[in-house]
Amino acid sequence: MSTVQNVEPFGDGFIAALCPELIIFAGLLALIIIPNIGKGTFRIPGTQTRVMWLFGGERFKITSNPKMPAWIATITLGAAFVQTVLSFQDGVDRTAIVTESGTQLLLVNGFSRVFEMIFFGALTLAAFASMNRLEVKGIGPKLSTDDLYNNRRQADFYILMLTCGLGMSVVALAQDLFVLFIGLELASFSTYVLVAFYKESKVGTEAGMKYFIVGSVASGVGLYGLSMLYLWAGSLQFDVLAAQFVINGTDPLPLIGIGFVLVGFGFKVSAAPFHFAAPDAYAGASSPVAGILATASKAMGIIGLIRMLLIVASPEASEDGAVWLTLLGIISIVTMTWGNIAALGSTNPKRMLAYSSVAHAGYMLAAITAIGAWNWDDSLAGEPGEAAVAVLTAVIFHLVVLVAFKLGAFLVLSVLESDGDASRLSSLGGLAKREPFLAVAMFIFMISLAGVPPLAGFVSKLLVIMGIVKVAIGQMGAEIMAGGDYGLADVHWVWWLALAMVINSAISMFYYLRVGVVMFFEEPEEGRTGPLPSGWQVRFAILACLMATLFMGVASDQLLEICEVAAKSLNYSWN
Amino acid sequence: MTDLISIPLVAFPLIASMILLAFVSNGNARMRARLVGPVRMACLVFSLLMLVLTTGMFFRYFGDVTWMDIGFNEYEFEHKYTWVESLGINWAVGLDALSFPMVWLTTFLLPVTIIATWNEKHGATYFPLLLMMGGALIGVFVSLDLFMFYVFWELTLIPMFFLILKWGGKDRKYASQKFFIYTFTASVVMLLGLITLYFLQDPYSLASSGTMTGRSFSIPELIDNARANNIGDNWYLGAQMQKILFVMLMIGFLVKLPAVPFHTWLPDAHVQAPTGGSMLLAGVMLKMGAYGMFRLPISLFPHALYHFQLALMIIGMVSLVWGAIVCLGQTNLKKMVAYSSVSHMGVILIGIATMQPMGWAAALFMMFAHGIISPMLFAVCGAFKHHYHSMEIGAMRDMAKHSPWLATSMMFAWMASLGLPLLAGFVAEIMMLIALWKMISVDGWSIWWMVGPALVLALTAAYYLWSMQRTIFEGGEDTQPPASMKGHAIPDISNSEKFAMLILALFTIIFGVLPWIALDMMDDWTIQAFEGLIIPLLKGGA
Repeated sequence: MSTVQNVEPFGDGFIAALCPELIIFAGLLALIIIPNIGKGTFRIPGTQTRVMWLFGGERFKITSNPKMPAWIATITLGAAFVQTVLSFQDGVDRTAIVTESGTQLLLVNGFSRVFEMIFFGALTLAAFASMNRLEVKGIGPKLSTDDLYNNRRQADFYILMLTCGLGMSVVALAQDLFVLFIGLELASFSTYVLVAFYKESKVGTEAGMKYFIVGSVASGVGLYGLSMLYLWAGSLQFDVLAAQFVINGTDPLPLIGIGFVLVGFGFKVSAAPFHFAAPDAYAGASSPVAGILATASKAMGIIGLIRMLLIVASPEASEDGAVWLTLLGIISIVTMTWGNIAALGSTNPKRMLAYSSVAHAGYMLAAITAIGAWNWDDSLAGEPGEAAVAVLTAVIFHLVVLVAFKLGAFLVLSVLESDGDASRLSSLGGLAKREPFLAVAMFIFMISLAGVPPLAGFVSKLLVIMGIVKVAIGQMGAEIMAGGDYGLADVHWVWWLALAMVINSAISMFYYLRVGVVMFFEEPEEGRTGPLPSGWQVRFAILACLMATLFMGVASDQLLEICEVAAKSLNYSWN
Repeated sequence: MTDLISIPLVAFPLIASMILLAFVSNGNARMRARLVGPVRMACLVFSLLMLVLTTGMFFRYFGDVTWMDIGFNEYEFEHKYTWVESLGINWAVGLDALSFPMVWLTTFLLPVTIIATWNEKHGATYFPLLLMMGGALIGVFVSLDLFMFYVFWELTLIPMFFLILKWGGKDRKYASQKFFIYTFTASVVMLLGLITLYFLQDPYSLASSGTMTGRSFSIPELIDNARANNIGDNWYLGAQMQKILFVMLMIGFLVKLPAVPFHTWLPDAHVQAPTGGSMLLAGVMLKMGAYGMFRLPISLFPHALYHFQLALMIIGMVSLVWGAIVCLGQTNLKKMVAYSSVSHMGVILIGIATMQPMGWAAALFMMFAHGIISPMLFAVCGAFKHHYHSMEIGAMRDMAKHSPWLATSMMFAWMASLGLPLLAGFVAEIMMLIALWKMISVDGWSIWWMVGPALVLALTAAYYLWSMQRTIFEGGEDTQPPASMKGHAIPDISNSEKFAMLILALFTIIFGVLPWIALDMMDDWTIQAFEGLIIPLLKGGA
């Protein structure tokens, strides 16, 4: 079931369609205005009369409460998250197209909704957990300048969180490459600053700078590609580009342009060889922010890749698979192997998680490669797009559950960071004795990342492998039943990507298990035997991640349905 | 009929152990020490209840089940619940004559292991882990769904990983990780094989196909489908695919078994594992490999089994002989016993590769007999280590004088393992030899295939007798207690250990003198399997 609705900006249905974004926008305004509300007065020029206008001046006690911004941001993001989840409630795929004088700008449907769900879910958890991270020195007139400065940072941090969420959801909605780019940059600039925000760490600012420079270069290259595409097609609309691509997609100009655009997105998903900044950025950022980079920011990059590769340079454009098939297949194998091998050698848990994130990007790219090959088997005509939908469902499912266990792992590190330091593997030593809950949670996150049943990470990896194998085998099953004899040479070569994936999963077991060994069986570092810093918010967020990791492993049916609705709504010709 | 498997045998031990673990890990060290007694008693009672249930199943107390007459690919106590409908995943359980002996063995070994390691340190977390292990192992044996099978297959790794890691010896970190990674690597290859098999089905042709994918994970349906297509020269899934899938599945099972050259994780894991871990590892976990072979690749791909018969025979022979030769050179008691397991697992492979009903029955009985004997071997090793603080074969001399109970148990276990007539191990070995002779005389294989088993009969006797001689008898009047005792008096084994040894010895004798108790149903399964699988191949497209 689906309904399609055309919406003009600020016209009928505009608020209903863009409800989550408007919530974020309202929260952003509140976050800017509320801390500035005070007993400020305004002298009418030329008179001695002062009018109270409640802006500036001495702040009220409630508006100057340094914990206020965190709660505003959490509630805003949480409300937006609930709103997106509710939109899946009745299984109706509501599509709303926002157009401005005939140009499609934003498209609200299952696909964009599910990504909004990922972004807002991750940001809510991160914002909630960050309440224990930024130091708050109470309220009152006796505070030193430093303390006042610290209090002031609160608002800045959460404003950036909200702009980040706004930018990401624009990326999810965009139907025009230029709109997408604006959203991408809004989110990127927010994350650059968020990375550098960790000023307590020696490497925070450096990491932010590095991430900014590399990121801007990637964006610049992407923008250049964008201009080439505009030169070629005269428009940056996805559907116009896709139509053009069917006609003359083998021209060098669009291929180079698309390649350049992909560099920008490749950086976001930290695919090899654009992943070099990621470990530094993750290690330098505070852990909740690193968690956002590894989950929401990566999902944003995946949207870009999906739009460019599956809509514009779509596999349906040519009969023998997408043009980028071989290249992306190679990149995916290199990415996953490089990530895993680098993670083996890293002794910093945050860098290790960063490299594991690179490896997971490789798995995602393998899945996208498989989608690119979905129509290789001519006899697939019987069930059009079913295989493509299966793989895309797996990709989306993986990105959703990744929020649970990847962000959860970063949040556990966040607790250790507020205890002093989490940059060495030995920082995790004796965690089981210091706080068993955190150790058990971390262990479950680790083996979920590795893909051990019956956790969410296993189901997502299984679905990806199943999708790839399904594409690779195509209709061979029916032909074999009819007496055919086929071997691996007759299966599409994406099958070998599945093999690379399972072997890489086995390699990754080494470093995930090592974390468990350190936590349970090694002594704590010198002087770090006491209890960990308190803070119920971060523990609550970890508990939520833990429950999701366990629950999505054994009862994934409902989430799978949502992901399938989302996958089907990307490309209606697959249905 | 109520579901006697899902909750009492699988979910209950898993959930109970998790609750116990969560409860225990909440408290401090003192509280944990106080909880050891109640937790241990709870685990013992739970496992005894499970034993009562499975024993009752055998004596037809819980329903009129004739274990003798279950046809091939038919199951008793069968139950099925939808799990993930879109992918065709069900929670499906059932028992047949192939899985029931293994399930009974698991429930039998659990209380025995708990009793044998009654005084293990950190008991409050140790015993729940054993219980969890038991639940996961039973889960593997009762699964009738590929997805569920794989989930439990991997789930067994987690408690065993912690058992080795926390209660193990000096190199436990290395050993536990090696164990985990070896078997995990093999099983992900198996997983890819299973998924490829899944998608090679004709869409929507099986009853429990997923609504989204149109394929089914159901083991009975897949086997039926395979049987309908494996007729004469017609290969299910085609010759090439059948061979590829057979190899991919076998990789997972051969590493678990383990067969040479994939066996190197086993000695490390065994030497470092605590006694209880070793008992369950050798007793049941290794059999998961053999069980899996019978359940999946053999039942699904008999053509490929014929194709790879020679390869399997060679791997089996090499495991048999190599394991025995390496045993001779060991100075570590537990390592020797571990390699003897490799050698005995070779017997299973040879039994399968003979392609004789007798050989398959020998393999099935070997799984069962080794499951009773090897825990006793490891219990002896554990007691040795526990009381003499050393595993070296020469460390303790003249044990017969110092600790007669341990010496007697050791002698009994060693004799049972080397195949003394009237003990369980002998039955399996003699059946394997008969099957091998039959293969040579009927199928026309070379007589030289007899050399390996003949050599190993002598080698096995040699390494067992030699180690007994050095440990139990040698020394004479002037022996000094081992240096590792540091001058303390030499104790004999504790009462709980004595009790566990007696139970294990008793059942070794029972199944040695009256093998038909278990052998009859195995024989029956084998004959049914031959009629269902192999005869249609030989008869041609009738």
